[in-house]
Amino acid sequence: MSMDEREPLLTIVGASKSFPGVKALQDVGLDVRHGEVLALVGENGAGKSTLMKLLSGIYTPDAGEFFLGGERLEITSPRQAQELGISIIHQEFNLAGDLTVAQNIFIGREPRRAGIFLSDRELNARAQQLFDRLGLALDPRQRVGELTVARQQMVEIAKALSFNAKVLIMDEPTAALNDLEVATLFDLIRRFTTPDTGVIYISHRMDELKVISDRITVLRDGRYIDTLDTDSTDMREVISLMVGREITGEARPQVTDAGTDVVLSVSGLSTKGVLSDVSFELCRGEILGFAGLMGAGRTEVARAIVGADPKSAGTIELAGKPVRIDSPAVAAKLGIGYLSEDRKAYGVLLERDVKENIVLSSLPEFTAALGFMKPAAIEAKASELVTALSIKTPSTSQLVKNLSGGNQQKVVIAKWLVKDCDVLIFDEPTRGIDVGAKDEIYALLNALAAQGKAIIMISSELPEVLRMSHRIAVMCEGRLTAILDNADATQENIMDYATRFSAEGTVMA
Amino acid sequence: MKNRKLITALAGLGVVALAMTGCAAGGGDAGGGDAGGGEASGDKPYIAIVSKGFQHQFWQAVKQGAEEAAEEFDVEITFEGPDTEADVDQQIQMLQTALDKGPDAIGFAALDSQAAGPLLQQAKDSNIPVIAFDSGVDSDIPVTTASTDNKAAAAEAAKQMAELIGHAGKVALVVHDQTSVTGVDRRDGFVEYMEENEPDIEIVDTQYGGGDQAKSADLAKAIIAANPDLKGLYGSNEGSAIGVVQAVKELDLAGKLTVVGFDSGKAQIDAINEGLMAGAITQNPVGIGYETVKAAVAAINGDKVEKTIDTGFFWYDKSNIDSEEIKAVIYE
Amino acid sequence: MTTTPTASDTASTETGRPGGLVGRLRGQLQQLLAFASLIIIVAFFAFASPHFFTTSNITSILVAATVTGILALGTTFVIITGGIDLSIGTGMILCGVMAGVFLTFWGWPLWAGVLGAILFGGLIGFVNGFNVAILKIPPFIATLATMLIAAGLALVISGTKPIYFKETPDFQAIMNLSIIPGMRFPLGVAIFILMMIIAAVLLSRTIFGRYTYSIGSNEAATALSGVNVNKWKIIIYTVSGLFVGVAGVLAASRLSSAQPTGGLGLELEAIAAVVIGGTSLSGGKGSIVGTVIGALIMAVLTNGLRIMSIPQEWQSVAVGTVILIAVYLDMLRRRGR
Repeated sequence: MSMDEREPLLTIVGASKSFPGVKALQDVGLDVRHGEVLALVGENGAGKSTLMKLLSGIYTPDAGEFFLGGERLEITSPRQAQELGISIIHQEFNLAGDLTVAQNIFIGREPRRAGIFLSDRELNARAQQLFDRLGLALDPRQRVGELTVARQQMVEIAKALSFNAKVLIMDEPTAALNDLEVATLFDLIRRFTTPDTGVIYISHRMDELKVISDRITVLRDGRYIDTLDTDSTDMREVISLMVGREITGEARPQVTDAGTDVVLSVSGLSTKGVLSDVSFELCRGEILGFAGLMGAGRTEVARAIVGADPKSAGTIELAGKPVRIDSPAVAAKLGIGYLSEDRKAYGVLLERDVKENIVLSSLPEFTAALGFMKPAAIEAKASELVTALSIKTPSTSQLVKNLSGGNQQKVVIAKWLVKDCDVLIFDEPTRGIDVGAKDEIYALLNALAAQGKAIIMISSELPEVLRMSHRIAVMCEGRLTAILDNADATQENIMDYATRFSAEGTVMA
Repeated sequence: MKNRKLITALAGLGVVALAMTGCAAGGGDAGGGDAGGGEASGDKPYIAIVSKGFQHQFWQAVKQGAEEAAEEFDVEITFEGPDTEADVDQQIQMLQTALDKGPDAIGFAALDSQAAGPLLQQAKDSNIPVIAFDSGVDSDIPVTTASTDNKAAAAEAAKQMAELIGHAGKVALVVHDQTSVTGVDRRDGFVEYMEENEPDIEIVDTQYGGGDQAKSADLAKAIIAANPDLKGLYGSNEGSAIGVVQAVKELDLAGKLTVVGFDSGKAQIDAINEGLMAGAITQNPVGIGYETVKAAVAAINGDKVEKTIDTGFFWYDKSNIDSEEIKAVIYE
Repeated sequence: MTTTPTASDTASTETGRPGGLVGRLRGQLQQLLAFASLIIIVAFFAFASPHFFTTSNITSILVAATVTGILALGTTFVIITGGIDLSIGTGMILCGVMAGVFLTFWGWPLWAGVLGAILFGGLIGFVNGFNVAILKIPPFIATLATMLIAAGLALVISGTKPIYFKETPDFQAIMNLSIIPGMRFPLGVAIFILMMIIAAVLLSRTIFGRYTYSIGSNEAATALSGVNVNKWKIIIYTVSGLFVGVAGVLAASRLSSAQPTGGLGLELEAIAAVVIGGTSLSGGKGSIVGTVIGALIMAVLTNGLRIMSIPQEWQSVAVGTVILIAVYLDMLRRRGR
């Protein structure tokens, strides 16, 4: 992309922001040029979110100035930021599921008649104009709750752009998207970047930055580190700037020979309306990757195995013996642990402390007569795991919500290690975790497998699947379409199997 | 009879439930439709009585009197009332239902005369005579009101209190509520008597406990704490009076504080016998019920009825509690 | 929830993360502040009226707080799970009536009748727990239904008449017996204090309490951790019901009679006490100390305003205002990290 020689579209000078005990941002400056996509990267806690919240008026800066097209900005509220031309797409959407697409886009600025009457017809027409301009295939009348995550995101983007945004900020926009949806999103971003606009794009996914960004600004520990031209930069350099150290590259798995000793055998697993006839075996010491597009049913397989969702057919054998698993409580008792993709909703108790979380699954073992807990034993066990997994926390009494994503994930892993499970199901184990911590999680998974645990790893990141798994199960529309040995698997053939949509369109029996 | 009604009611509920689940769609006529009309078209005149309460002893005694009169004058009656005296809505519902049944007369003791206004108008328009009873109805629609003259009764309580404490000292009131006619009359009757006749008696506080015993006890204790030299306490209905007695018991003030109560009930009778309470005013609940039905019958027959019917009251204490005259009007 | 500072805590101040030792101190400060507001209210009334701060009146306040307080203690567990129990007021009345049935109608010995009434409370709680956990009826609706059922059953079973404990005159002693010579300090208040201790130990030291917090904090995560959430919810509602049973016995004992009416509205007073005490209606957070303070604040306010002869109409206004202020201040403290 050719760069404009005008002065930058958006300039930030000397932005600082402190919270009690934390200097979240110190003297950070950056600029966004006309017509460019500026990637903003950094580990969790590097200050990206704080900077975005300053720009969008959620926080007020302690120091610093903002200029848009050379004019100094005084940003006081999110609404005002939008009116000035700065729109932000948060990771979590702000949409009302029961309202229609058009109602969501114009919420708070509905066209009115005679001051009080709403006109949905005019509303829909305006939304349609907007979609036509952006080349979006959305139905203004559809309820947002019925849309896929990707389409909801489009609604968010359309809403942001309806304010005639000059600067669009996107926070991890691809976190919940599959590859096809990512491509659509990138199209949309390219269409938006005209010589009068710019995008700040926050992401952990290095491969995406290579594709979509023009320059990359790196933050670390609340400070500005460097800005690099994407075309002339090796992504490893970016990563090492982020973490402040060299990262060993994209190694293919150091595939130790997995055992042949079958621990878990699933056959004919089906659930009403989602899974049909899923069968596979899992061996001791093996990591079995599960790949597939969003909605392919990978999480549902895990939930059905542990009894979180009811099964309509199928049998599960543990070490050769058939077992009946009606609830996660039974699964835990049998030694099957499930680590959800959505840590905050299904993994940790954010408002409770580290040790409570670590012993949650095995609390009866730390309980004396009459239900009295043994605080000393709990503390000892929790400390042991904090050390073993090098969980970064000041103490076991720290509330989990104060830990970083990677450390929260380790707390969940610790919980299942205390329970001494034979089978561990990791659903997106590195989602929302920064690059350095990812490596630690990978090392942990490998160590667990080496110890003889049988592991299922569900992941949407193909490089991760290829790097970690001994074998790879690929799913499409609730069916298992292939189980590949790592040696035979490539990103291309996995995607091929992941898109084997049934020709007849009859997925559900 | 009772059982049949219960069954009818349950069957009606069933129909509603079926309708709600959609199973009754397309079915025939619901069976409950003509049940109401049937009562009105029977041979005996039908009088629907909606009282202010039901489960309370007092209302059961009113009901008893009404049933005696029904037997005597050969009429059919129904007697119902809301769960608590705060349930104005529920009472209005009951009155509506009673009207829908097309009775020959209605007996009514209003919790809230304003709220009942439109329905009373409806009764008047349908030429259904309304007999007010107990606290009555603040309206000129009722043909008559059969009630205790609560103001006079409360004045009697004040007179007795004054004599018991030697016509001097501080007294306080625990009243059941500040909005109903009985609450207001039983407060004002007491207060006005003291103001007019007893210059040396000072009324230091009036609090409202909703007729709830525990709550009345707690607030009586607060009044006593605030006024260590209090001589007497007056409780304006059964719950209030028992609450006051409870306070005296908990504070070990038996004999030091004079308690005067209102209405009856086992706890009050016991308190009088044990000397915790000096005495109480009782209305004549059986008489209220009886006079209500009697007046209704007269109204149905087109006879002339007095605008008010005083059903009377009695002072009772240790000396006369076992007399036949008192025994007939107090209840356990 | 109760933790003693350890050596590693001091490290937390160095890392500068919020929520370490500083956070802990702030947490304790919260309870201190709640306690401080109680002290301020007491001090205010003591200053305003010479009759307020007397042993006799303090005892009266404790007596007045006992029944609602015990209801509040039990329902704290339910509220920490993120649930609500509207049936505690009328459930308590029904338990009193059952005590009357056991002791007076059926002639059971005193201990058996009292135990029976308490267990009956547990049964009401069990029904609530079953409806909420197994039938998945929202707690508000499930307990609204039992609230009405209990109110009705109390009337039906008692024949709409109060039941007097003629056969067991000692029944009244459970609440009223004076246990300190020369001071009218009744046994019922001692039972209230005992129930506080039981509740506090249950919540902070046992697996029961831990799961109560876990479920309220994140029910889905707790279930996926292998905890049998349904079973524990039933247990939690049942335990809350046992507290209702104890309250019912005490309420009936106080009046030496089981009154079949009333109780309605008590559930809201108890819930208000819990909320004033800093327990969040959305679950996961709360403490017994807080609830006790909340119950005392309610009782002190009511008593103090009466002692000052504030007209009743204004008493409600004052109590309502205090609830608003207390909850708002608590939210501010939580938010302002």
